[in-house]
Amino acid sequence: MTTEVLASRPATRGDAWWLTPLVIWQAVYAAAAALATGLVVARTGIVITGTPRLVAIGILGLITLFAALSVPWIIRRNHRGRLAAFLLNLVLAVGAGFLTLQETNVFNGLDALGGTFGRGIPFLALMAVGWLIAGWAGKVTGPTARALRLAARWLVIIGLALLLIRVGLLPGVWTFLTRLVQPAALTPAAVAVVASLWTRILLSDEPNPIFRSTKAQLEIMDGLFFVSPNVLGFLAFLAGPLAFSLFVSFTDWDGLSEAAWVGISNYTDLVTDPFFLKSLRNILYFGVLAVPLSVLPALGLAALLNTKMPGMKFFRALYFLPAVAGVVGVALIWKQLYNATVGYINYGLVRLWDLINLLPGLDLAPPQPQWLSSPSTAMLSMVIVFSFSTIGLNTVLFLAGLQSVPGDLYEAAELDGAGPWAKFRRITIPMLAPTTVFVVITTTILALQLFSEPFILNAPQLSPNGPGNATLTPVIYLYQNAFERFNQGYASAIGWALFLLIFAITIVYFRTQRDRGVLST
Amino acid sequence: MRKRWFLLLVVFAMVMAACGGDDDTGGETTTTAAGGETTTTAAAETTTTAASGETTTTAEAMDEVTLRWRTRPDNDEEAGVYQAISDTLTGQLEGITLAYEPGGQETAGYQQNLLTELAAGTAPDVFWLPGTDIADFATRGVILDLRSLADASGHNDADFYPGPMFHLTFNPETGNTGETLWGLPRDVSAFGLYLNLDLIAEAGVDDPRELAAAGNWNWDTFREVADGIGALGGGIVGYGQSSWWGPYGYWLNAAGGGFFNEDRTACGLDSDGSIAGMTALQELYAGGSVVPWGEDAEAPFRAGTLGMFQNGRWATPGIRTVDFNWDVVKLPEGPAGPSNWLFWGAYVVNASSEHPEEAWQLVQALTTAEVQAQVAELGANIPSRVSQEALDAFLTFTPPDNNQAFLDGLAENPATEGPLWAGSWPEYVSVMDAEIGNVVTGATSIDDFAANICSLTAPAFSS
Repeated sequence: MTTEVLASRPATRGDAWWLTPLVIWQAVYAAAAALATGLVVARTGIVITGTPRLVAIGILGLITLFAALSVPWIIRRNHRGRLAAFLLNLVLAVGAGFLTLQETNVFNGLDALGGTFGRGIPFLALMAVGWLIAGWAGKVTGPTARALRLAARWLVIIGLALLLIRVGLLPGVWTFLTRLVQPAALTPAAVAVVASLWTRILLSDEPNPIFRSTKAQLEIMDGLFFVSPNVLGFLAFLAGPLAFSLFVSFTDWDGLSEAAWVGISNYTDLVTDPFFLKSLRNILYFGVLAVPLSVLPALGLAALLNTKMPGMKFFRALYFLPAVAGVVGVALIWKQLYNATVGYINYGLVRLWDLINLLPGLDLAPPQPQWLSSPSTAMLSMVIVFSFSTIGLNTVLFLAGLQSVPGDLYEAAELDGAGPWAKFRRITIPMLAPTTVFVVITTTILALQLFSEPFILNAPQLSPNGPGNATLTPVIYLYQNAFERFNQGYASAIGWALFLLIFAITIVYFRTQRDRGVLST
Repeated sequence: MRKRWFLLLVVFAMVMAACGGDDDTGGETTTTAAGGETTTTAAAETTTTAASGETTTTAEAMDEVTLRWRTRPDNDEEAGVYQAISDTLTGQLEGITLAYEPGGQETAGYQQNLLTELAAGTAPDVFWLPGTDIADFATRGVILDLRSLADASGHNDADFYPGPMFHLTFNPETGNTGETLWGLPRDVSAFGLYLNLDLIAEAGVDDPRELAAAGNWNWDTFREVADGIGALGGGIVGYGQSSWWGPYGYWLNAAGGGFFNEDRTACGLDSDGSIAGMTALQELYAGGSVVPWGEDAEAPFRAGTLGMFQNGRWATPGIRTVDFNWDVVKLPEGPAGPSNWLFWGAYVVNASSEHPEEAWQLVQALTTAEVQAQVAELGANIPSRVSQEALDAFLTFTPPDNNQAFLDGLAENPATEGPLWAGSWPEYVSVMDAEIGNVVTGATSIDDFAANICSLTAPAFSS
């Protein structure tokens, strides 16, 4: 990491025309952020209630602090001032840009575009024709090829233009412009433009001598700018909500009212909550059954599908189908199969017993399990549906692992007289160990988050909890607390407790496999 | 580089096109209301509007208020009827443009979206709530008390069934009813016994409709009919019901019990009447010809292998597609006389709505006899107005021939579905469901149930 200063020329206030405006802009930025913070605190003008208000105060307070600090830093030509102003303006440009799109109704319009896009499909076909002609042009030479390429290009351009017009480009532009000139949209748009300009200026080479930025500092700025789309998305959609839910888990927030801090009482309540403890027992029972039933058959199937027999591609696609089918559709079909009175499974059992009873002296009554309504079989039914849905993906993962096993290992084993079972046990399984670890961990995580299957299979005859709470899982209990009982705080605590459980199981399994030498450290 | 700019231009053009994006229906709707705006512009204006009052400029310039409203349709056909009603009302309500949003068709999804939008301040101006949820929303201040608006508009609570209005006018601060108005009931419903007439004839048992007409339709004759049908064998079953609180609650209510005490401030599941009802239910499932507890009873009924199926009016559209003779009879009388449920849901106004007066106008318009008849014609609902006009219209929506069975259910001592103002209904029902299931399936004895149920449900009253 170098500390080379890119320009040692002492900078003065007159070095750049934009320096004074930048100081003023940052001061205005800080004042506006402080004003917004004050308005949220005083519940005047910006009315945000409940826990979101506390979050808004925290974020606005931090922005105010750094915007205010950036002013003296910039005046002193300190690189920290440049970095702070750059980041703050980058965030402002993105935020104001999104606000502009919101105010001009673009997001709602994108939703509606799904409904109107069908109008333009004929012109999409025109573009496809152009694309085909372009492909044809590649197979001929001379003036014909040039003419075909030209025709193809114009077909695509005309098709695209007609498509855009048909789905509403012209009225859309007009609507956008009429909304954009309204203060509610024009203000954030102007802010977005100005903040973008400051971001651009601060990222350029021009400020280097003024702020005496080192190469390392510039690399950091470039890096931050490069990763900013991902970081902003991560902060907004993952880290932010995670931190928020952690905070909420220490409150009694109901999702609508002001939250009150309750410390760790949500967590201590979990320890004595019979429903939560029941859900934990259920999910561990489910995991113990579902993970092996989702992994072992997948391994066997993958081994079969890895052979060079006719039709294997068809079977590979067939076994993968449940993985791409929606869980709701799969669960609804299984629900019909499981019906104790008119379901196909019990019907099949009756027919099977009819066959058995053909044997002389036998008159056995066929079993008619109440697959979903009996506490003893309800969770087993969930295991079957879960495994059915998961085996396909696991098979593909194992298949990929199998195809990376070097063939010469098997050849050498054959020369040593090894049979199919010996080769499978001594070569395939050890070589697949890293894949197996991955499959087991991902399947375990999926299993411990069981939600959709009991939610759909039990409705509407039973609650998702199933008969005698036999299919109550932590995620279902979380959902019920969050959206039926208005206990967002308790629901968040359940979420974090489940996270700790999954994390602990994953770590233990991971370390066990690493100690066995399956995984490199 | 040229390709990159070209792609950027295409993306920008799509975004611009999105500003004019609208589906045909919405476009027509808004064009009518906005009076002269082009379809695209007007439609887009509608979608911009939020409950928080971010009405769009064009609409504001024309003094047009745009209201978003939402209800939970049972199916796409019902959603279409609501959209048509919205379109019609947009033309009738002066200065109000309506944007209808069909909510999720499953209760859970509907509530999840609604809560999220309420927390974010983007919920519709007017929305539908199940009757059991009114307390949770009212006590948290997210729905508007419409009493002052109602009094000023000449509204009369007595125009609607009194059961729902008890809860919709309940003041949680004073504990008195008649002091507030949280909304108006969209519709009501009651249970009936759907009958497979072919199986009844084949079994040679008495026709429940005739037994009811003769005043001899009670738990004894009910068991005779059910067991008689079950005696046909070959997988034929006499009776089936779902296992959620409504169907089993009927047995408790008809025996003189109930879920709560008189003023709904404590558990009533250990009362003599409730225990009598539980005993009857347990005996029915222990020895009667029934679809096993917790199993789907609608599937065997539709398959023609179930004689009597207890369900609400909402099951009628689905039952209309079966290919055997069927009808409906009211639920049999229990030891305490006739009983049923009065199910309901209500239109309420978002407390954050910037247009409460217009929203109240909309709630009134959505609950007129005419609008309720339009919805009830589909077969799934019963009008919540007690006017003769609404009831007469309902009776014409056949099949079933015996629509009167549902009206009888509503008239003869129904227990009203309602929120638990003194506790948490979801918590209560969660414990109750499991414990009653345990009794019916024999996992718990009646005595243990009577001894423990109210202590098990007690935490629900401290929530």
